[in-house]
This record gives sequence, structure tokens and C-alpha cells, in this order.
Amino acid sequence: MQSRLTLYVFTAVVILVLLSASVFFVDEREKVILLKLGQIERSDYEPGLHFKMPFVNQVRRFDGRILSLDAQPARYLTGEKKNVIVDSFILWRIEDVAQYFRAMSGDEENARLRLSQIIKDGLRAEFGRRTIQEVVSGDREQMVAELMQEANETASEFGIEILNVRIKRIDLPSEVSESVFARMQAERERVAKDLRSRGAEEAEKIRSDADRQRTVLLAEARRQAENLRGDGDAQATEIYADAYSQDESFYALYRRLNAYQNIFQGEDLLVIEPTGDFFNRFSSESALTR
Amino acid sequence: MAWNEPGNGDKDPWGKRGGNNEGPPDLDEVIRNFQQKLGGVFGGKRNGNAPNPADSNGGGSLGVGLIVAILFVVWLLSGIYIVEPAERGVVLRFGQYHTTAMPGPHWHFPYPIDHVEVINVENIRTVEIGYRSSGARPEGSILSEALMLTNDENIVDLKIAGQYRVKDAAQYLFNVRTPDSILRQMMESAVREVVGQSNMDFVLTEGRSEVATRTEQILQEMLDDHGTGLSVTSVSMQDVQPPEQVQAAFADVVKAREDEVRQKNEAEAYANDIIPRARGQAFRIIQEAEAYKSQVVAKANGDTSRFLQVMTEYDKAPLITEERLYLDAMESVYSRTNKVMVDVDSNGNNVLYLPLDRMGKRSPNPLQTNNSPARIDLDSINYPSGQTNNASTDARSRGGR
Repeated sequence: MQSRLTLYVFTAVVILVLLSASVFFVDEREKVILLKLGQIERSDYEPGLHFKMPFVNQVRRFDGRILSLDAQPARYLTGEKKNVIVDSFILWRIEDVAQYFRAMSGDEENARLRLSQIIKDGLRAEFGRRTIQEVVSGDREQMVAELMQEANETASEFGIEILNVRIKRIDLPSEVSESVFARMQAERERVAKDLRSRGAEEAEKIRSDADRQRTVLLAEARRQAENLRGDGDAQATEIYADAYSQDESFYALYRRLNAYQNIFQGEDLLVIEPTGDFFNRFSSESALTR
Repeated sequence: MAWNEPGNGDKDPWGKRGGNNEGPPDLDEVIRNFQQKLGGVFGGKRNGNAPNPADSNGGGSLGVGLIVAILFVVWLLSGIYIVEPAERGVVLRFGQYHTTAMPGPHWHFPYPIDHVEVINVENIRTVEIGYRSSGARPEGSILSEALMLTNDENIVDLKIAGQYRVKDAAQYLFNVRTPDSILRQMMESAVREVVGQSNMDFVLTEGRSEVATRTEQILQEMLDDHGTGLSVTSVSMQDVQPPEQVQAAFADVVKAREDEVRQKNEAEAYANDIIPRARGQAFRIIQEAEAYKSQVVAKANGDTSRFLQVMTEYDKAPLITEERLYLDAMESVYSRTNKVMVDVDSNGNNVLYLPLDRMGKRSPNPLQTNNSPARIDLDSINYPSGQTNNASTDARSRGGR
């Protein structure tokens, strides 16, 4: 009874081992080829459960997802013979797994190397046809589309499909960057100078306008003032003339007498002779008393 | 692989479901129990020292059946799993996509039939270009990422951050090997594409948010094109600066802009200072003229009024008034001034010298001078005869001199 049980268990184990050796799963993320003693037997597996011949068939699995390849930044010459440093990345995936296995013997590193060479060649050609301006600001998609078309022809020989080539960075080499910075600096200086002198211009305009306004204001005021004074003088003259012309001889007397009083003040020294008009009574007076 | 080896195959499901249903003490007991049974099975074959041979001999096939049944149940129970609210469970059956499980408790066929990958779809992940807010050197600018060429071949230093989350767990799992790092590269490429098509001034000033928006668009398009299952929730510009090397020059432009305004303001201040003053001055000039005019007219009126009144009286008695006026005036003149009376021979040719300067200085006060007439040494005075002849005419002609 015990040996029968052992037999059962043994049989079960053998069956399980055989079963496990003859099924395999294909993951959603994988592409799988089935080898029969080194030969590719089948490569078009859908994800799920599949069968194989134990020990005769071997399963090789590859990543079926989109893979990225971050290419090393490299120097390219543009159409106007300027150097640019370009950093790009490539999205690719295994298209024909059998082809891929044959060409790369399943080595992803190898595939990456070949891919980056293909892309580098393509980029070199594309950049050589364009100026920096076109490369930096132009239609990257169009450039990449042309590049990808050629690259894919080569890549398909390796069972690889290039999905996208994206240019990340287009930088100028450091020595060129320096001169770009110098140019930017000069440009800023130009702007700064322009702004400052515009400021000075404006300021000068405002000042001179203010000065002009002041001068005009004062001149106008003086004109008005002279006008007023003249008016006043004229009125006064009229008044004087009206009044004094009523008796010209009396005016002469009156005015003269006023003038005498105004002219001779304390500081003045009068030299008088006693026989003068005013003092002419001295002698007759003394004659009277005598 | 493992299930055909009883020793390991048994333990594996045990370990998996340990935390799910039963507490550790029960588990231990079951294991011990199971090992006893197992010991019985193999003990018979190998003649090992089983703990309880009687039991194994007696329980035979019944024991094996029980063990198998328990193992089966345990295996089934190991398929229970819970998806958290922020997560989705992607169920793979024999490696093939089966379903996506929403949050809650679920059951799947246990290993090796089904396999569940749990993905957090709510978690917002961040990607930073041009800087790192965490890590070895936080906040530091990464120049190789941050410096970008613009359309006008200038260089800007730009820091931008994006936030994203998993939109489709299955796509996220199956389509791309390293979705997060690809997103990073796509974003870098998108930003540079946008910046490369813009002018520096635009990027530095009003275009900041537009750069972010367009980056987001391009990035999302790329992500969708390649079925990454990722969704960009936001892209925000953290900082845009001119590169360090030229920042001084840029700052100078800002200063220059300020200087421009300052100069204008100073000039305005000057204008504001002098124009109202000039207006005031002008007003004063006019007012003074007005005053002069009024004054002159008033004076004329006053003078003539006085004159006319005196004239009216003069007309009544001209001779006596004339004499009176004459005497009044002479009196007033002579009483206020220094006087030297010289009695000269009208025929003499003597020249009279008067020390005019000394006499003028002697007394500044005219009133005092009136009281103390100048004493002049007459011996030293030479009197010129020519002048006296003129002076001897009448007082009216003297006033006109």
C-alpha cells in the first residue's frame, strides 16, 4: 500500500515536470521565438499560453515594448559649416523578432550600437542640408520624418522599427557659446545705451520745453506789463494835459516852485548872493532900520 | 516550475496567503501538522523516523486526500487581493492581458495562471527639467539641461516642471519599457522645440505661460502617439533667465529702463518746478504793471486835482498868490539846505573855491546842518565872477538849471 502511494506520487511528479516543460507563457510585454535545436521554428506568438516540445524546443524572450535609446550628444556640421552639439533620443521596438534574432543574435546592446550609428548617419545628412536657424526653429518633425524614413530602411534589416527620433538639445559648442554670450551682451548694451539716451533725449526735451515756456510766459507778461504801463502813462499824461492846459502860466509857476523844493535837499550847498531876487530886501530893509 | 516540486510548491502558496486570512498561530499549527503528514508519506518510503508512524500508517490515502484538499483551498485563497482606491490592478492570464481591476477586493486564479500588477494611477509624479528640487544637489541648476537655444540664436536658462500620472494602467505596463524616463526625454525635447521656435524676448517675458502650454500639448501628443498610458496634468514654468554670463548686461538693461524713467521724471520735476514759478513771476510782472498803471493814473488824478484846486484859488488873487507861493518855496528851500552867502563885487574877477567835498561830508543830517551853517574861511575862497552873474538873475531861472 505504501509503495503504491509512492508510485502515485512519483507518477504525478513526472507528469507535472513533463507538463511544465511543454507549456510556456507569453507575456504582453514580450516577443517570443521558439527555437528547435537552434533553428527558429516560430516567432508569431500572441500573449498567452502556448505549447512546445519538451527538451527539443527552446524559448527565447525579447522585450516587445517600446524601448528608448538616449544617444550620446554628438557634434554635427550644419549647412553653413557651423558645429552644433545635438542630443537626441530614439524610440524603437523589435518589429520582426526572427529577423532581430538572426541579425543581433538577441543582443540588445548590439542593437543599440547599430541603431545609434544609423541615426547618427541620418542626422549628419539632415544637418548638413540645413542652417542652424532651420535646425533650431524649423520643422523638427519634418526633418525627423525624412531621417526616419531612411533609417527605417536600414533598421528593418535588423528587425527593428524606429518609431521616433526626437532631438532634445541643439547646443552650440562652448567656444561658440562664448561668442553668443558676448553678442548677447553687446546687444543688451546697445539696448541699455539706447534706453539711457532716449531718457536723456526725453529729459532734454522736457527741460527745454519748460525753459521755453518760462521764457515765453515771462516775455508775454512783460509785454502785457509794458502795455499796461503805457496805458497808465497815457492816461496820466492825458489827465495832466487836461488839467495843466487850463492855465499854462500858473502851471509853470506851480511846477517850478515844486521843483525847487524837490531839487534842493539837505546835502546841497547853496551859494547865495545877497543881491539876489529873494534877498534883494536885505539892503532896503537895513536901510529902513538905519 | 515550482508546483511540480512538492517541497517548495507547498510552501509558496502558504507564505503568500499567510497575511490574507489566518493569523500566524494557526498557520504554524497547520504547517506543523502538514509536515507531520508529509513526514509520514516519505517516512514510509525512506524509513525515516516519523514522529507518529501509527497515524501515517492508519490514515494512509485519506491523509493524502486531505492534504491535497487543503493545499487546493490554500492555493485558491492565495488569489485574493485588494486594490486600493488610488490603484488599478492589471490582471494577466498566462501572460495575456485579461482585465483591469478597479479598487476593491478581488480574486484571481492563483499562480501560475493569473498574475496581477498593481499600478497607482492617482499618484502625481513630477518631472523637472533644468533643475532638481530634491536629490544630491537640490535647487541647483543643471546647465546642460537648462540652457536652450532660441529662434534668434540667443540662449536662455530655463527651468520647467511637469506633473503627470498614469492614465491607463495597462498601456503604462505593456507599451513602453521605461515610461517615466521616456516622458522626461520627450518633455525635454518638447520644451526645446517650443523655445527653439520662439524669440528670446518672448520667452523671457510674456511668452512664459505660452511656452509651458505648448510644451504640454506637444508632450501629451507624443505620449499618446506611443501609447505610454501617461497623462500630463500640468506643465509649469519655474524660472526663465538669461544665462549667467550675460545676466549683468540684462540687469543693466533693466537699470537703463529705470534710468530712462528717472531722467524723464527729473526733467518733469524741473519743468514742474520752473513753469509754475514762471507763471507766478509773470503774474507778478503784470500785477506790478497794473499797480504802476493805477498808481500813475491815481497820482495824475491826485496831482491835477491838487493843481486845479490851487489854480482856482490862484485865479481869484493871482499876484498875491504868486508872491506867496514863491516865498513859501524859497523859504522851504533855503531853510533845508546849507547856505553860503557871498557878497561879491559884481565887477570882481576873483575865483571862489569852496571845499565842496568837506562840506558835504561834515554833517549827514540835514536838520543839524540847518542849525549850524557852514563856517568857511573866506580868506581862502576865491570867487569866480562869471558864475555870480548867472546866479544873480531871478529865482525862477535858477530852478531850471
